Amino acid sequence: MFLSVANLTKSYNTGMITPVLKGVNLEMEKGQIGVILGPSGSGKSTLINIIGGVDRTDGGTVEVDGKCITDLNDNQLVEYRRECVGFIFQFYNLVPNLTVAENIEVVSNISKNPLKTDEVLSAVGLSDKKNRFPRELSGGEQQRVSIARAIVKNPKLLLCDEPTGALDLETSRGVLALLQKVNARFGATILMITHNSGIAGMAHAVFRLRGGEIADVVYNAERIPAGRIEW
Amino acid sequence: MVMALNKRVWRILKEGKGRYIGIVLLILLGSFYFIVATGISGNLEKMVVGFSEEHRQEDLTFSTDRPIEDIAALEDQSGAQIEAYRQFDVKLPDGELRLLSPGTQINFPAVLSGRGVEKPGDILLDPKFAQMHGLKIGDPIELNGKTFHIVGTVAIPNYVYILKNLYDVLPTSGFGIGIVSSADMAAFPEAVTVYAAYFDGAERSVPAENINAQTAKLHELLSEQGYVLSEWMDAKSNKRISMPWGNITSMKSMSFPVSTAFFLLSCIIVGVMVMRMVKADGVVIGTLYAQGYRRGELTRHYLAIPVLLAAAGGLAGALLALPCVKPIVDSMLAFYILPGQGITFSPFNLALAVLMPVALIGLSSFLVMRKILQKTAVELMKGDEQKAKVNFIERALRLDGFNFNTKFQIREQVRSIPRLSFLVLGVSAASMILLYGFTYNYSMDVVMEKGALARYVYPLEYNFKEVRNIRDGGIPAGAEPYNALRVYPAGREAVEFYLVGMQPDSVGFILNDSQGNPLPRNQVNITEPLASRLKLKAGDTIHFVSKLDGKTYSLIIDGIVQAYGEQVIYMPLDAFNRMTGQPAGSYRTVLSSHEINLDQSQLAGVMDARNRDAYKDLNQTTTLIVASVTALAVLVATIIIFLVTSLIIDESRSTISLLKIFGYRKKEVWKLILNSSMPAVLIGFCLGLPFMLAFGNTLNGYIAETMNMLIPMIVNPLYVLISFVLIFVVYEVTRRLGGRKLAKISMSEALKAGTE
Repeated sequence: MFLSVANLTKSYNTGMITPVLKGVNLEMEKGQIGVILGPSGSGKSTLINIIGGVDRTDGGTVEVDGKCITDLNDNQLVEYRRECVGFIFQFYNLVPNLTVAENIEVVSNISKNPLKTDEVLSAVGLSDKKNRFPRELSGGEQQRVSIARAIVKNPKLLLCDEPTGALDLETSRGVLALLQKVNARFGATILMITHNSGIAGMAHAVFRLRGGEIADVVYNAERIPAGRIEW
Repeated sequence: MVMALNKRVWRILKEGKGRYIGIVLLILLGSFYFIVATGISGNLEKMVVGFSEEHRQEDLTFSTDRPIEDIAALEDQSGAQIEAYRQFDVKLPDGELRLLSPGTQINFPAVLSGRGVEKPGDILLDPKFAQMHGLKIGDPIELNGKTFHIVGTVAIPNYVYILKNLYDVLPTSGFGIGIVSSADMAAFPEAVTVYAAYFDGAERSVPAENINAQTAKLHELLSEQGYVLSEWMDAKSNKRISMPWGNITSMKSMSFPVSTAFFLLSCIIVGVMVMRMVKADGVVIGTLYAQGYRRGELTRHYLAIPVLLAAAGGLAGALLALPCVKPIVDSMLAFYILPGQGITFSPFNLALAVLMPVALIGLSSFLVMRKILQKTAVELMKGDEQKAKVNFIERALRLDGFNFNTKFQIREQVRSIPRLSFLVLGVSAASMILLYGFTYNYSMDVVMEKGALARYVYPLEYNFKEVRNIRDGGIPAGAEPYNALRVYPAGREAVEFYLVGMQPDSVGFILNDSQGNPLPRNQVNITEPLASRLKLKAGDTIHFVSKLDGKTYSLIIDGIVQAYGEQVIYMPLDAFNRMTGQPAGSYRTVLSSHEINLDQSQLAGVMDARNRDAYKDLNQTTTLIVASVTALAVLVATIIIFLVTSLIIDESRSTISLLKIFGYRKKEVWKLILNSSMPAVLIGFCLGLPFMLAFGNTLNGYIAETMNMLIPMIVNPLYVLISFVLIFVVYEVTRRLGGRKLAKISMSEALKAGTE
């Protein structure tokens, strides 16, 4: 199993203890696309942050490609994020004063075997905009840059936090199609969180998270191409 | 509603307290410096000018071979007030006391303690002499067999700096002055008569600036009447009078530019921060507009922070400066005898110290925020102001050839031009102050080492009261005569210099050109500082006027003498005497390799350069200034680099957070963010050097107009290196402080970006 989450628990102390994850279990094979569906406050972001190594768990384990990341110390987690994980955010999080190409280099700069910037730019269809600044791009284009930045290190695991949350339907289809293409071309395992159930059709596995627990897991025998997704 | 909004002001200040303390400190330094500099120059000026005016300081002193017969007639003819006074030097076992009769119209004494001379047998002493010899009021003192009673201490305007002889450079150890009644003076028949002249209409704000024509006329009248004149010296050339002027001029000329520079630097950084704050609050401002807030209300709200900072800094600086002025003035006056009039401060300057930063910073902040506050509620609520804009430099930069770290650091710097300007200008200012302190100190050392003292191969110089002649003999081997005249270039009375006539086989002077080659003695050689001040080169003709008799002469320059500070033209003695109408072989000074046994009564002064360390005492004030300037520069650099580092970190919070998410190690983030200022600091330091030279030369040129000595700014590479190291130590320390702040930025900032 490429990704294995077992009995994951997490609480936040905001004056009172608020449990966010209450024993989450989740498994994914290498090269799959997984979608975590759930309403606001269900613990989606906390779960993906723990899997990405940017947050810590109170209990349970997370194994990625055979490595138990819940046992890693802070420095080891840095190395884990550096080597294995790519991030895509809802609001893109591009560095505003760097050009498109330079935003991608932010990640390739610290990667051992990065892909060529031009190659990923071509893959996301932005070769002609490499010298533009983020402000000069549309929302969809900015998300493409964000995807290019995530895949340039050729990560084993690509974590996407509401990647289409700020986009219209047409642009969202384009972004999701790109993620499917990345999955097919580079073999990256993709775990995406969303509250939009329309996206579920393109995933191999769909995990419904409710009140900090996995309420339901669906494995799609047939996946819908992103271009045909509706909501 | 507005009151509720104003509660934010305190919260905003609390949130960024480190940064706001830095800004207050910068403003504080500006107003502190302003009050200290104007306080010192104002009080020194008040003491020196006040004393000279109230006690009618002489414009000219001279002696004659016989008493002037009709002083009243001479006064009518010359337009000068002339008073004769008597002086007599009494040898003591451990020193010498010059007894003077009190001036009644010119140079009248100021009693510093005790009472004045009321009856025969009373004596007033200069306080340094009294202290040095352990004498106090009420003590008796025996002088030439007569007992006097010390009734007080005294200052007189023609002995502010107590030099035994007019041509002395340093005070004579154990020497002092005393005032006795005219009746007591009559008991010393050997006493000599000295004249003091006071010209009506002479410029009083600086010593004797416009009296050359009047002194020349008086000289002519006395010469016509057959008097042989000696020790003829105007107040400007008279070190007993003019020494304190250097301190006043330098402080006065530096007070406004330096403090204004601090305030302007503060304007830039406050402007940058106000701009950031207003931009970040764009949506809130738009919402408040939509709810009925007026533009004026919001302008006042956002202006409150810069105005509060400026007022707090200005007030604190002014208050802290008040107690500092007296000890500095006292230390500067340690060499001088002046009546203490108490330290006073100009209410205008005190108000200016607070109002100037408030006005400058308030105005710059208003201009910065006006553009944003003028937008409509709808425009502001769209949140466009919060989105990072790309400036023209960022857009124009093509950095494809660089590695990523370099690209990132360049972009980080050019992202905010005002911030970059503040850093470069701030580091330049700090480097300039630092380099100026070191360079001025070094230049003074060089002037001492290689200046007038180094010119003399023979260390002793005897100045005679009257002109002598070589034919009369009396010049031993190892000694040589020269003649000299005080002159000024036609049309530039402020630039005075000596014209020296020397023997063609002279070995007592070193006259080398800039390559170190000896210059011939049978030609006209001008020192480099004078040539540069008058913009003269070899082959040019100089026209000048004798200060003694107002006659005009011309000379063609043959060579330039490498020199530091000195303003002299050297020419052959015969030609000198011929040109000035003196008999061949005339001289007034003897340079000697050894002590010569001469009749002391014929001497106007002796310069003894055998112990050069003694001259370093003159530099004590400079050392104090250099130490405080160095501390000031380090403080300024620390504040500026800290402010910029803190701004960079704040402006890059989301990027730093993002870099951490992507797996950047601590040191990598540190290098990317905090190393980016290195080139700007380097450029700032490099600019500091030419800025310092321009500032120093301008300032010294200005001082030269009053002090008539141009101190060159001589850069010592060692001090440049020390300054460089100091600035970079400050940079490194500030970077480490910034590193702690950087470590505190959490990854959640990027994860939550856009969701709040």
